[in-house]
Amino acid sequence: MGESGDIDEIWRRAEGGAVAILDCREEIPCDPCEAVCARGAIVVGKNVCDLPRYDPGLCNGCGRCVAICPGMAIYLLDRSSRDGGARLTLPYEMKEEIKAGDEVWALDEDGSPLGKGKVVKTAKMNKRDHSLLVTVDVPEEWALKVRGVRIRVMSIGEPLEVRGCQREEDHLLCRCEEISRSQAREYAAMGFNSLRALRRFSRVGLGYCQGRFCQAMLVDEFSTAAFRDREGVGVFKVRPPVRPVKLGRLGGENG
Amino acid sequence: MNLPLEHTALAVVGAGPAGLCAAVEAARSGVPVVVLDENERAGGQLFKQVHRFFGSRRHGAGKRGYEIADDLIAECLRAGVDIRLGSSVIAFFPEGELMVDGPGGVYLVRPQAVVIATGASEKTIAFPGWTLPGIMGAGAAQTLVNVHGVLPGKRVLIAGAGNVGLIVSYQLLQAGADVVGIVEASHGVSGYEVHLDRVRREGVPIYPGHRIISARGRDGLEAVVVKDLRGGRTVLFEADSLCMAVGMSPMAELAAMRGCRMVFREELGGFLPWHDEKMRAGLQGVYVAGDAAGVEEASVAMEEGRMSGISAAEEMGSMKKRQAAARRAAVSRRLADLRRGPYGEARMAAKCSLYCA
Repeated sequence: MGESGDIDEIWRRAEGGAVAILDCREEIPCDPCEAVCARGAIVVGKNVCDLPRYDPGLCNGCGRCVAICPGMAIYLLDRSSRDGGARLTLPYEMKEEIKAGDEVWALDEDGSPLGKGKVVKTAKMNKRDHSLLVTVDVPEEWALKVRGVRIRVMSIGEPLEVRGCQREEDHLLCRCEEISRSQAREYAAMGFNSLRALRRFSRVGLGYCQGRFCQAMLVDEFSTAAFRDREGVGVFKVRPPVRPVKLGRLGGENG
Repeated sequence: MNLPLEHTALAVVGAGPAGLCAAVEAARSGVPVVVLDENERAGGQLFKQVHRFFGSRRHGAGKRGYEIADDLIAECLRAGVDIRLGSSVIAFFPEGELMVDGPGGVYLVRPQAVVIATGASEKTIAFPGWTLPGIMGAGAAQTLVNVHGVLPGKRVLIAGAGNVGLIVSYQLLQAGADVVGIVEASHGVSGYEVHLDRVRREGVPIYPGHRIISARGRDGLEAVVVKDLRGGRTVLFEADSLCMAVGMSPMAELAAMRGCRMVFREELGGFLPWHDEKMRAGLQGVYVAGDAAGVEEASVAMEEGRMSGISAAEEMGSMKKRQAAARRAAVSRRLADLRRGPYGEARMAAKCSLYCA
């Protein structure tokens, strides 16, 4: 039996009603599913990074784990309906409203629409926000493929191929004092090899942002151009104020 | 210049997850605490996080970021912490005084101890056209969408397939934008698979091994030119917004100004103040915590905040040595758990290299 439960067993049990399917494959620090499962069907254990161990035999299809899973990696499968279709319950947090009776797109794990499914019911996941558990009927052959439902499917198209060689253009590194990449390289060639020395000469890092935008880029540029490690290139000396403040306020005014 | 001066026991700079946890720990052991934050809301980055968090239940996993922030703020208020918003700490002088630009004007605070929990700032990459309107940090896009209810664009391209890039992509989709793709210069996705799965199942294509060459547009962004580093193919994405999620660096200017030694650790986002396991930054009464002490994640920030609060309380004599040691041991264990696994190991090693240096 795999960590996430034997899929054949889940398939069989789903004939009797809803049962959870866990699609949790990666060791990340996460365990809320364990706490909400009143039946003890999901166990993470002491190490929060371990994968959940799931026993579908204990699952009663309550759906609490579906609602709590931060990764939206759990859903319910129910094959008890007599017409042979599959009934899935999936988490939904998009802006477009979904309600019972709607026809919605059923998407696979790559976001490709498998086709339309019919919404049987929706339930609020909790009292605090608008997220829903959407229960949708789909053909049986999609039962293990559907990973999401949407009202609207994006049509974004493919990126266009660009022919011809792209000329390397110059551009700014420090946008407050308008120092370009080529200028920064010239300074390095002139012998400046620390940010503090460069600042005195060029005003780089003395503008409105005080280096918050450009410092990391300048450190990289300089350590490459001057063959120095980053601690050698160093950071700007920090002087007050670290946030812009009106001179009058420093004099005791409040405005 | 004769500015008003006030005394306090502990000043915490930054009301994010690290700062609030530091404040709670110290205040519960009887230390008077002032928290200073430049924003109009407490919670740091948490209050714009609308996704549910990973982590253990202890760190609020399964809750959404803003709910975790609300819980922490409530804990602080119950413990008697004085949270001052709209209050920028603009200087931390080597003599130990903080200069605060607050709603009532500029004043000085002379605390016995300071926890610097100022978080991180977004890195950016520069290329021809990167200053066009429509190009912004992913965090800025998140603020627009989740705090102000404004879309940065209708067709958005994301740079960076780490957790931030993946999460922001998803939140833009939630808000009704189309995400035309996620380009990533390295050859793989560095974010959690679950975050990746969520955007993939919405139909967002991922382009690993792709680097941004330039951005084009007249009055704002119209297209982004991207090069496939493996095939050599160059493609153009039509987009009116480009959000860069290319990492964060610790925002620790105050520590540097105070005189803390700054060290470089790539795995932790760049330059950060040196500190030990107790989150002491090498100078009497100066502590660091959270992303300002190395960029990790919110649950780690909370634990580091607790660690710094415990250390400060102990050194001020409000917590007994044995009790402090026991509490620290518990926090250390949880930190070690959070830094386990394929994602945590490099950060763990980088942190250890500080403690041992």
